[in-house]
Amino acid sequence: MLNQIVLAGASEGLALGNMLFVLVAFLILMLLLKKYAWGPVVKMMEKRAEKVAHDLDTAEEARQQAEEMASKRSTQLQSARTEANGIVADAKEAAGKQRDQIVADAQADAQATKEQASAQIAQERSEAMAGVKGEVADLSVTIAQKIIQKELKLDDQKALIDAYIEGLGNK
Amino acid sequence: MEESATFTIAGLTFDWSVIISTTISVLVVFLLAFWMSRKLVIKPSGKSKQNMLEWVIDFTNNIVDGSLPNKTGNNLKFFAFSLFMFIFMSNQLGVAFSVSVGGDTFLNSPTANPLVTMTLALIAISIAHFLGVEKLGFKGYVKSVYFSPFSALLPINLIEQFTSFLTLGLRLFGNIFAGEMVLSLLWQLAQSAGVVSFVPAFLLTMLWQGFSLFIGAIQAFVFVTLTTVYVSEKTE
Repeated sequence: MLNQIVLAGASEGLALGNMLFVLVAFLILMLLLKKYAWGPVVKMMEKRAEKVAHDLDTAEEARQQAEEMASKRSTQLQSARTEANGIVADAKEAAGKQRDQIVADAQADAQATKEQASAQIAQERSEAMAGVKGEVADLSVTIAQKIIQKELKLDDQKALIDAYIEGLGNK
Repeated sequence: MEESATFTIAGLTFDWSVIISTTISVLVVFLLAFWMSRKLVIKPSGKSKQNMLEWVIDFTNNIVDGSLPNKTGNNLKFFAFSLFMFIFMSNQLGVAFSVSVGGDTFLNSPTANPLVTMTLALIAISIAHFLGVEKLGFKGYVKSVYFSPFSALLPINLIEQFTSFLTLGLRLFGNIFAGEMVLSLLWQLAQSAGVVSFVPAFLLTMLWQGFSLFIGAIQAFVFVTLTTVYVSEKTE
């Protein structure tokens, strides 16, 4: 390339020094740029492109995984829901049975208690009646004694008789 | 054309303006790229310098991919980037700075010198031909470049190789040189009648500098685009 330029310069009779200088300066510029600016920047740009591509791949993978997980979750959720529904239905059934049982037990219990109570009441009443009968008899005897004691006094007898008669008259 | 002080080493003539301007341009490009490529991170934040550099790299990569979406293009991407940065910076150098002492220019756009642009064009065209030979073999290269679509077009194809080389270099030179010419004419206008001419010339200079920034960017883009087009022509 250098020869070409020298030949071209010679044939045209131009200031070769200028051309040579520009050529050399440009070559040095290219060398420096390549080492200090172009090289690092292009490397960084490639690194970035790689990173972006890699990130895109990773993101795609993650998306697929997430989708898989989501579908798995939804099926799991579905099965869990049916299971829960079954459990609730079973529990309701069991509760209903238990309720009926409890109610029946309670009714039987109440019936028994009631019968017992009425029997007790009847017994107590008959006992009370027996007691009252005795007491009435005693009372009658006592009253009769008192009345008999009062017979000893004439006036009282008279008064009693009068009262009696008076009572008859009022009838 | 503006004069420039020269010196000679071993029979080779050097222009001070070319030496100084090219060196500064190369230095600015390198320092800028060096500064922007410090502390690289994998995820740069919104307005970092790294993003700026990566934007430029993407821009030149897209230029290359536009005409060479293959392995040849991949190998050419770094060259396209360097070429773009250098030409862009060279074009803008003369927009902001133009130093001349006693009629001799010492600092301007290197690309306002035809030798510089022709050197760049020579590099670009040489690479195109070299890659053509490398990819198609010498026979295939000769056949595809000089005898296609049919042998009778050989003279036209030969001429085309020279014209594409010449237009590539001269287009860049013409645009930037014309821009600098207008700037120096505006400077003369500014000096011509004191404040009366200084103020309008100042405003016009600002306008023209804005336009030149645009032209400089466009020409750098065009140069790189055409380089990749020529390479794709030679390697297909």
